[in-house]
Amino acid sequence: MSSISVTGLTKRWGSVTALHGIDFEARAGELVILLGPSGCGKSTTLRIIAGLEEATSGRIRFGDRDVTALPAAQRGIAMVFQSYALYPHLSVRENIVFGLKVRRLPAAQRESRLERAAEILGIGKLLDRRPAELSGGQKQRVALGRAIVAQTPICLMDEPLSNLDAQLRQDMRTEIRALQRRLGMTMLYVTHDQTEAMTMADQVILMRDGRIEQKGRPADLYMRPATGFVARFVGTPPMNLLALEGAALTALESAVPVLGLPPLPRGGHLGVRPESLRLADAGLPALVATVEYLGADSIVLCEVGGQRVAVRVDGATDLAPGNAVRLAWRTEDTHLFGPDGTRLAPERVEVAA
Amino acid sequence: MSRARKPLVLEELGAWLLGLLWVIPLLFAVWAAVHPPEFAARFDPTAPLTLDNFAMAWERAPFPRYFLNTFLLVTLILAGQFIVCTLAAYAFARVRFPGADIVFALVLIQLMITPDVLIVENYRSMAKLGLLDTITGMGLPYVASAFGVFLLRQAFKQVPRELDDAAQIEGASTLGILWRVYVPVARPIYVAYGLVSVSFHWNNFLWPLIVTNSVEKRPLTVGLALFGAAETGVDWSTICAATLISVAPLLIAFLLFQRQFVQSFIRVGIK
Amino acid sequence: MIGTRSRHWVEGWLLVLPALVLLVAFTHWPVIASLIDSLNSTPRRGAAPNFVGLENYQRLVADPVFAKVMWNNAVFAFGTIPTSVVLALLMAVWVNSAIRGRAALRLAYFTPTILPMIAAANIWLFFYTPDYGLLDQITGLFGFGRTNWLGNPDTVLWCIVVMTVWKEAGFFMIFYLAALQAIPPDLTEAASLDGTSRWYFFRRVTLPLIMPTTLFVLVNAVINSFKLVDHIVVMTKGGPDNASSLILYYIYETAFSFWDTAYASALTMVLLVVLALLALVQFGVLERRIHYR
Repeated sequence: MSSISVTGLTKRWGSVTALHGIDFEARAGELVILLGPSGCGKSTTLRIIAGLEEATSGRIRFGDRDVTALPAAQRGIAMVFQSYALYPHLSVRENIVFGLKVRRLPAAQRESRLERAAEILGIGKLLDRRPAELSGGQKQRVALGRAIVAQTPICLMDEPLSNLDAQLRQDMRTEIRALQRRLGMTMLYVTHDQTEAMTMADQVILMRDGRIEQKGRPADLYMRPATGFVARFVGTPPMNLLALEGAALTALESAVPVLGLPPLPRGGHLGVRPESLRLADAGLPALVATVEYLGADSIVLCEVGGQRVAVRVDGATDLAPGNAVRLAWRTEDTHLFGPDGTRLAPERVEVAA
Repeated sequence: MSRARKPLVLEELGAWLLGLLWVIPLLFAVWAAVHPPEFAARFDPTAPLTLDNFAMAWERAPFPRYFLNTFLLVTLILAGQFIVCTLAAYAFARVRFPGADIVFALVLIQLMITPDVLIVENYRSMAKLGLLDTITGMGLPYVASAFGVFLLRQAFKQVPRELDDAAQIEGASTLGILWRVYVPVARPIYVAYGLVSVSFHWNNFLWPLIVTNSVEKRPLTVGLALFGAAETGVDWSTICAATLISVAPLLIAFLLFQRQFVQSFIRVGIK
Repeated sequence: MIGTRSRHWVEGWLLVLPALVLLVAFTHWPVIASLIDSLNSTPRRGAAPNFVGLENYQRLVADPVFAKVMWNNAVFAFGTIPTSVVLALLMAVWVNSAIRGRAALRLAYFTPTILPMIAAANIWLFFYTPDYGLLDQITGLFGFGRTNWLGNPDTVLWCIVVMTVWKEAGFFMIFYLAALQAIPPDLTEAASLDGTSRWYFFRRVTLPLIMPTTLFVLVNAVINSFKLVDHIVVMTKGGPDNASSLILYYIYETAFSFWDTAYASALTMVLLVVLALLALVQFGVLERRIHYR
């Protein structure tokens, strides 16, 4: 087991700065997810930690070992790639033991590790096939197999599920998480899919434009987003953010006494999650624009002073576009963001953990 | 292919006529080689068959020596090209180094100005290096093939970068990655390039003619040219037999692996 | 992803070094040396060469043989290239159709390509032999007398041209064949639904689509016409009276028969300039049409 600690990591390509001083720590045995939209620097961070890119400055430590200057081969890591990176000319068996052969592990040991990995992943029957003869899910398993046999304390994953279909992705999420726990690996996992982050991670590091926007447990990001960006990125459908200006501000201010809202920061945003909103007799006046029926629930899209607000209601609803409704929510479900997008102190009522 | 159109009868005739025209010279050579000299140019179906011409040709020139020389030459060039071009192609495809563009441009020059036209100066260099009349001297100018570098670079660029990354993480060195990942993935290109290179150098003539001056070092083409030289007074039947002997290995290989040959020429020709 | 690899740049240089050394030694240096030698006199009997400026080039301008071989090269190029390209296209179209004996035809067309030029030259030499050769026997049937095809300055170059066409057409055919097979079948289907005539389809769809191949083949053919003289060595030695000599053969003769290396270097420079111009044409015209990288 080994922790990962990253301090002051920056990366510049010519005049372009991809990373502006990243700091974080993954405790030994944790699954840490680097989350963010494409181009936010999460993959670059991972590749620098892997040793596939050089950092412009900053330090990387695995446990108490400083690996900043070490080449990838000597860092003692395993990595699973988005495209799986299986060698097309080698069989599944040869793919899995490739690294062990390169490192001249005795044949008997290779064989026993291979057997164990094949058993864990249930790919014993595929060992003699070529990658071209495998389905996406099978390739994914082989890639995992390669990471397992390396028996490294640290495993890096670069968007490992993004090439799979939705159903398979869901299954693999559970499986990878179980695997990580079973083998006690410290796993650093890059994804742009917030569902993966929410369901799998011990710790989520949400990045944007080469900076860390927020890091914490998934529930922290969901319940106390540090910025409007985090609020919108985590949770589906995303949190409603009402710009506190114009007609919406007037409407909200009229509802302040009814809903017991704190003072509203002008020019900032008020956030409420769709699942926190309910239709009520008294509250914020809104007009129904469209209704999306999803089965277990429906998303009612309303307009408040020209701004869109999504409301999640249970089951079906008989609301129709044009209906006037009133929206209410609990005071503690209100999130306020200042004009610069950051969460406003003082923190309000804590949600019971 | 499945829906290939049907040609007109006239076209079919034309195609066959042209095909006939194209094989006549070869059939002619075969005819002359397997009949006694007096029938070389007399197409009498009752003419007796004979292998004497082949025996005669085999006696008059050291063909085993020529074959060996050509074989050594072709092998030397191919092995050299594979090593030298692979290394350079990998650098151009996957390593960033200062001056790469200039060096690549310097390499590309050789696509146009091949050693075939630099006979005067290369002869002088070989004389200085003491490589006249050696297999090495015949092969060396062709070892760093711009064409090979270009072709392999294209092939390597198509290898997903993540394979390289994965191999690095698994502990392989630069040369290890090249050998274990890039070369096997690009294998079809090596086969194609190899076939084209062997065909070219098996048939190459002018430079070997210039560099060699002893029977011991001559490749087949040079030996054949001297064999057939008018002043030697050898008759046509023997010359045809000698010609067939010289082309036999490559021709048989071609007939057996026709598809691979044609595919290789196409693959290598159209970059 | 802009990814640079952490691999060190020194590795890059080490990897290209063997190729670079060999290229410099046998391509770049000879080019420079040719230029230097062409500005000096040929060293004779141990005497060092001395700088003569453009003397070799002045001699070249005044040399009737040089004019002749350049002219021959032009005739040779214009004689072989259009014919072999058209024949190659025709062969490819036929071999690509549902013709009877397609495999045999393809083999017949392509086989000359695989033969050494020397072997082909030997066979054709026999062909062209006066009286005895096949060509004279055939023309004899029509009442023509003995013709010394290779001994006559008027016919010799054309004999070489015919042989070269025979040798090269099959080679170009395979590139056309590949290009034809790359034309999407739905285009043909769409055209047959429209009732487009075959000739119209060929002219308006096929020809433009295989244009890059045509350019590729043309450039290759032109380069070959300057680089390939093996057959001259065997069949005519440039004769009679230089009627079949080409520039590279003249260089060979000048350097290795007359041992006039300075003049041969000047001739080499001319050939290099021609090749450089061809390269410019290739990169100027072709690069825009064929996707290289």
